[in-house]
Amino acid sequence: MEGLSQALLNGLVLGLIYVAIAVGLTIIFGTLRLVNFAHGAFYAIGAYAGLIVAQHVGLVWGFVAAPIAVAIFAVLLDRLVLRFFYSKEPTSQLLLTFGIAVVVQETLRLVFGGTTQQFPVPPQLATSFALGAIQYPAYRLVFAAGVLVMITVVWLFLDRTDYGLIVRAGIRDRIMVQLLGGNIERASTVVFALGAAIAGLVGAAASPIYSVDPNTGFEFLVPSFVVVVVGGLGSFWGAVLGGLLIGELQSVTTVVYAPAANVIIYLCMALVLVLRPQGLLGESEVIRQ
Amino acid sequence: MSALLETHGLSKTFGHFAANAQIDFSVEPGELRAVIGPNGAGKTTFFNVLGGTTPASAGTIRFKGRDVTHAGGYRRVHLGIAKAFQTANLYPEQTVRQNARYAALGHVQGPFALEVFRRSQRLAAVDAAAERALARLELTGVAEQRCGDLSHGDKKRLDIAIALATEPEVLLLDEPVAGMSRDEARKTELLIRKLAAEMTVLIIEHDMDLIMGISDSITVLHQGHVLATGTPLEIRENPRVQEAYLGGHSQAELAHG
Amino acid sequence: MSAADVGAVSLARRRRSVLAVHDLRFVALTVLGLAAFPFVLHALGGYSGLATQILLTGIAAIGFNLLLGYAGMLSYGQAMFYGGGGYVAGIVATRFAGGHPNLWLAVLAAVVTTALLAFCVGLLVTRLYGIYFALLTLAFAQMVFFVVEQARDWTNGDDGMQNVPTVGMPFFGSTIDLNTGLPALDLGPFGNLSDVKLWYVFAALVTLLVLWFTRVLVRSQFGEVLGAIRENEERSTFVGFSPRLYRLAAFVIAGALGGLSGALRALFDATVPIDSVGIDRSGSFVIFTIVGGVQTIFGPLVGTGVIMYLQNVISGKTDAWRLIEGLIFVLVIVFLPSGIVGTLLKRRRTRKQLLDTVKATP
Repeated sequence: MEGLSQALLNGLVLGLIYVAIAVGLTIIFGTLRLVNFAHGAFYAIGAYAGLIVAQHVGLVWGFVAAPIAVAIFAVLLDRLVLRFFYSKEPTSQLLLTFGIAVVVQETLRLVFGGTTQQFPVPPQLATSFALGAIQYPAYRLVFAAGVLVMITVVWLFLDRTDYGLIVRAGIRDRIMVQLLGGNIERASTVVFALGAAIAGLVGAAASPIYSVDPNTGFEFLVPSFVVVVVGGLGSFWGAVLGGLLIGELQSVTTVVYAPAANVIIYLCMALVLVLRPQGLLGESEVIRQ
Repeated sequence: MSALLETHGLSKTFGHFAANAQIDFSVEPGELRAVIGPNGAGKTTFFNVLGGTTPASAGTIRFKGRDVTHAGGYRRVHLGIAKAFQTANLYPEQTVRQNARYAALGHVQGPFALEVFRRSQRLAAVDAAAERALARLELTGVAEQRCGDLSHGDKKRLDIAIALATEPEVLLLDEPVAGMSRDEARKTELLIRKLAAEMTVLIIEHDMDLIMGISDSITVLHQGHVLATGTPLEIRENPRVQEAYLGGHSQAELAHG
Repeated sequence: MSAADVGAVSLARRRRSVLAVHDLRFVALTVLGLAAFPFVLHALGGYSGLATQILLTGIAAIGFNLLLGYAGMLSYGQAMFYGGGGYVAGIVATRFAGGHPNLWLAVLAAVVTTALLAFCVGLLVTRLYGIYFALLTLAFAQMVFFVVEQARDWTNGDDGMQNVPTVGMPFFGSTIDLNTGLPALDLGPFGNLSDVKLWYVFAALVTLLVLWFTRVLVRSQFGEVLGAIRENEERSTFVGFSPRLYRLAAFVIAGALGGLSGALRALFDATVPIDSVGIDRSGSFVIFTIVGGVQTIFGPLVGTGVIMYLQNVISGKTDAWRLIEGLIFVLVIVFLPSGIVGTLLKRRRTRKQLLDTVKATP
């Protein structure tokens, strides 16, 4: 019983990481119609940027610096390279972002070495918290709460602001937005930076829990793709639901039958594909993109 | 005489919006039937459901007495239902001839053939059917042109040629003369008359002169429902049809007719 | 017979006669290229065995290109077939050979298994398109990776299969040892003829066969329809083709080629690393093909050769090899989207057109 509660809590933490990455992928897909293979790279850059700043300036500043550094990187990437590919077919965008992901991963490996590194847990949170019968690390609880707050903020941004309107409309009909005169070019950059910043912040915030190495980006990216497919590409709440579902599934399976933990999420995805190809909360119209 | 193509209670809904609702429809062999209605009446959706582009939400479609409601688009092509699209749907990088050849090949070989060691050129029937279709639409002269470079009218005619190359029994024409010059439209009208002598033709068109002149019968759709079916004269005189057109957004269309 | 029919028949005849000359030239040039390749590579400083590895790996890239270039399907999962084929061949050679591992048996088992795997995965993934298809192939490849990693009793988990026994190649009653070298003959800077093992001759023959098969396939009726579906799927459905079956068939063929490639590499190297079924492997087939030239017959092989050669030369001197590989890939996508072979072909075509115009002007 305790093992299961523990697993459910772990699944929540893992699921929230997936949610954060998948939400970024989703809003970027919504505005730019771009599936961003480099999104895992953003996560990794965030983790390493946070690590350096934390070591040299201070722990808290690490968490501040990570999203900013990643957002700046994303804006440069968008303005210097990606925007020339906006009008190209989706597969060549996919190839490009894949290439960028490889370049980032290998640059990180050159600079920081291939070994695993770990962010220190902030000393104030280096305790555990009694939740009923089990003791759970305080940092993980704070992390989970933080991600939930962040998701809420992003959702409010999408729901209440003009940019959000463009994003939501863009998911449905990009041409319509252009006809209505939305400045989709600038909104795209803002959204791209926002999605990147989320990944960067989570990358830094999660690395006291899950250590970081240059491959970490891809390791989190692929399950996040599964999340997006399960939840429904382009659906915000689909990303949230899918992320929690996949995180819990993976974590609970680890307790029940560990060897299957990494396989089960793909089986789950196959099942969703057979029964509901557009994803749990996806709309069938976007599926043929 | 039994109907060639008929639907019963055919509906197509998008979310809560019913684009087609409870459509009962039937066409006799050899008939030239027009489907008209104000914009948004559900004409193109109806053709899409008939052709198999989108599945029906409810109801049945029967072709030659056979239930084809759940047959995919390509199966219906092989049963004898072909379609020309509202905006010409072509292979823009290929020559005009190759466009027609694809269609003829589809007809001759069937939905799938694992012919990895032989080229389609050995199938004389393919070239013959393609040339025939091009000749009928007077496109032989431009057969070697890249079809992306054709004029708008020629593109639409090539689209019809593609449909013909599958040797259909029923031909669905979605606004065949839309955007054509007067001359092109006249030429196409003559062609449709000729085709109607050989096969069953269903046509959506906004040009009322054309419709009233060539149709054997007309079905009027309004807000997804069948409003009336009858001869051109009956339709012209039908007060409900007049009301639908005058009450709708498309007064100009009836005035035009 | 109408005039149109007569015209069509004579057209068909003309096309067929042109075909034979082209075919002969293709085979002759390919044989020449494959014969020269190991010696050129030696002169450029490639280690012995690299030529064989390049050819064998290139076969999987050729399969990948069949999907991306000719069917328009971007797969990020080619490694599940490449690695899968390697493991099946390794397992068959190790366990089911009764002390006499048979190359044909191991390869056949690998190709059949990967084709079946491709069929099952294909049933699911060919329902989807573009980016969806890419993500799903990636995800299924990861699933296969984790299954392989967990099945330690069979695959030796993370360590990969070491010491796959040397296979013999039964051939008309006798068994050929592919590790035999050719007769000695000094070729100066190009090394010695005896550096080349029978393995290379065998790999070259298989490669020639695969190249020829690819060329025939893309020009065949099947390839023609595949192209039609790539260019306009909706229209293709409404002239009577079943796009799904074509996409599935292409996926299975690409998978089987991946399996063939992986199996031969495993038997040649006598090892099956866990990486061979990993995500980076899938990515490398993307890189090889794009760099060499998508939608060309030789592109994937050339790309495999260039990248693997550079890796061989550069990775000895610096740790930055994979970064350089990534940069090459990005630069090719941005500045040379047709790849090496594609760009050369384009240039030749433009020159030919120029010459024709010059000739046509009085």
